[in-house]
Amino acid sequence: MTVTSAGTLAALIALVALMTLVVRPRGSSTVDFYLAGQRVGVATNALAICGDYFSAASFLGVAAAVYVSGLDGVWYAVGFAAGFVPVLLFVAAPLRRFGEFSIPDFLGRRLASERVRLVAVGVVQIVILSYLIPQAVGSGITWQLLVGRGLPGLSAYETGVVLSTAVVAGLVAFGGMRGTTWTQAIQFLLLLGALVWLAVAVAGSGFHYSSAVAELSAEPLANPAPGDAGWYLRPEDNQIDPGAPALFGQPGAAYGPLAQFALILTLVLGTAGLPHVMNRYFTSPTGTAARMTTVWVIGLAGLFYALAVMLGTAARQQIAAAVDDHPWLEELTVDGVLLVPEHALPVLGRIYGGDSGLAVVAAGALVAVMSTIAGLLLAAAASWGHDVYERHINPRATETQAVWAGRASTAFVAVAAGALAIAMEPRELTPAVPSIVAAMVTWAFAIAGSALTPVFVLAIWWRGTTAAGATAGMTVGGLVSVSMFVLGALPVGPGLGETLMTPTLVAAPLAALVTWLVSRRTAPPDDVERQWLVLHGTAADRHAERLARLTLASLQQPTRRRSGRTARRREGRDAHG
Amino acid sequence: MEFDDGVDEHDTPAEVDAAFRTLRRVAITHVVLFLAALMGVPALSLTLGWWSDGRLAGGMSPGFAMAAFGLYAFFLVIGLAAASLSSAVEARMLGGRHVDDADGFPPEEDRP
Repeated sequence: MTVTSAGTLAALIALVALMTLVVRPRGSSTVDFYLAGQRVGVATNALAICGDYFSAASFLGVAAAVYVSGLDGVWYAVGFAAGFVPVLLFVAAPLRRFGEFSIPDFLGRRLASERVRLVAVGVVQIVILSYLIPQAVGSGITWQLLVGRGLPGLSAYETGVVLSTAVVAGLVAFGGMRGTTWTQAIQFLLLLGALVWLAVAVAGSGFHYSSAVAELSAEPLANPAPGDAGWYLRPEDNQIDPGAPALFGQPGAAYGPLAQFALILTLVLGTAGLPHVMNRYFTSPTGTAARMTTVWVIGLAGLFYALAVMLGTAARQQIAAAVDDHPWLEELTVDGVLLVPEHALPVLGRIYGGDSGLAVVAAGALVAVMSTIAGLLLAAAASWGHDVYERHINPRATETQAVWAGRASTAFVAVAAGALAIAMEPRELTPAVPSIVAAMVTWAFAIAGSALTPVFVLAIWWRGTTAAGATAGMTVGGLVSVSMFVLGALPVGPGLGETLMTPTLVAAPLAALVTWLVSRRTAPPDDVERQWLVLHGTAADRHAERLARLTLASLQQPTRRRSGRTARRREGRDAHG
Repeated sequence: MEFDDGVDEHDTPAEVDAAFRTLRRVAITHVVLFLAALMGVPALSLTLGWWSDGRLAGGMSPGFAMAAFGLYAFFLVIGLAAASLSSAVEARMLGGRHVDDADGFPPEEDRP
């Protein structure tokens, strides 16, 4: 690691820590710690949601998936970007209007059931852990490439995992949602800045996107595979047309026909069930603000993923062409193709910007990891601290005790995720899937989309949803999705394995059906009509807007009075003059 | 709750139900369009040769161009349209003046 790389990284972490310190919650209120006082504006919240959502899977994983499987990798970008459209249509505004602390809190109160709350806590924790592990893996990979050395007794990979989770856990425990909101917004801007810089550098060097796709599609797609005599380039099997070569610009390099749709739907439905993203909606001041925040997120996501796809394509073409001029690439590549596809963007950064370029991209990757880890740890804290500790372990907890319970949960979940990420170091797994980081995040999306989203949407849009129905739906969705993963990991035949690894196509409709069937046989909560007014009415929004207008008016009045007096004095002076 | 300038912060169940049904229709219409485009792009890649083999200016196929940037622009357009329409529906259908104030307005503690 050069002085420039170290300096960039140190400056970045110092900036984030400083922001957390400046905007940390001053009181010990749980609304402040978990929801930033429910006063986060549209643009700030949109940037913070992007910081939450654009993880290692988005920054490193999407470009890696495009790099290794062409168009089939682009479906990751499409699915990740599309996920916010259903959120906008079905979830954002009503969720905010109901206004709780977390998904389990929302379901528990909407369906008047502590059992639903606890089942939802279980599902949420599985989703959070499934999402946290690939983030920690991403930070390990980035540290390995950027620094290459570990702390005493730890490998470089382990050091990256330990340092990133420890630093973020500390910032979250200290800064709560308020500190995290601002740091995530800044982290997203840094992340987008790194991506834009790389895109400009690549485009400025004469890279022609359209021609690159055509050129890469002209010959069979081949990737490194281990052989008896070491690594070699093996042409990818075409999953759609066996016998024909798999091509970069056409579907089939990684997924069969059904698996293509299964992957996209898994990512689209999963977004609405992601606890760290949905929790952010509770921080909006109104339901309408939550809806407009989502429009901003959709726009920013489109920009981000379009750049990521372009850079994945550029990496495939440019890295192979750069091997002769950059001898350091030899140990990272086999015949010009990267051994670890997640290295695509950092390597591209080093080719175009030297050590500084590598530092910028690697810092972007670490930022992506850190901001997502922060959101996930906060969601874990809200669900353990608020839904379990405050409700079941110590119902008479003071605000200070509840906040400390959240901080303790943060530390516990961070340690668990770090340990699992170290146990799952991806060196041997990488050639098996398009991008190990993106694939692992897909599992989290699959569980969220199968177990939480159907129940969540039904609870918002169908009065007849009952606690028993929701419990049955979450249980069936969760069990079916996990069972399909396990089956998919077995040698079940080409095409079927990938479909089983993205189980939402089957599990989500099943969960919705079970929720509906069981709800039809049980009674909804007594106060469902009252809840409907809160979920779908705008009285609270108007109340909040009215209060904001009154506050603004009262702040402006003394100013107006002062300006009036100043004007009169000026007129008087002019008259005397 | 009502403030001195006559702005009514009160929704009746009938108003909310009517707005809910309209918003549900808006959401379903938009989600059908969204799914048609989202699933249409990979479906065309699997079924129509020219969608993957054809070349636009510069050499990119229509299928790759849609997946690489066309769909994201569509998501933004459909999101913006749905958000504007939903907010307009709420503004028009909720928050009117009421004669009867005793019909189910949630108490202060139920508000988010």
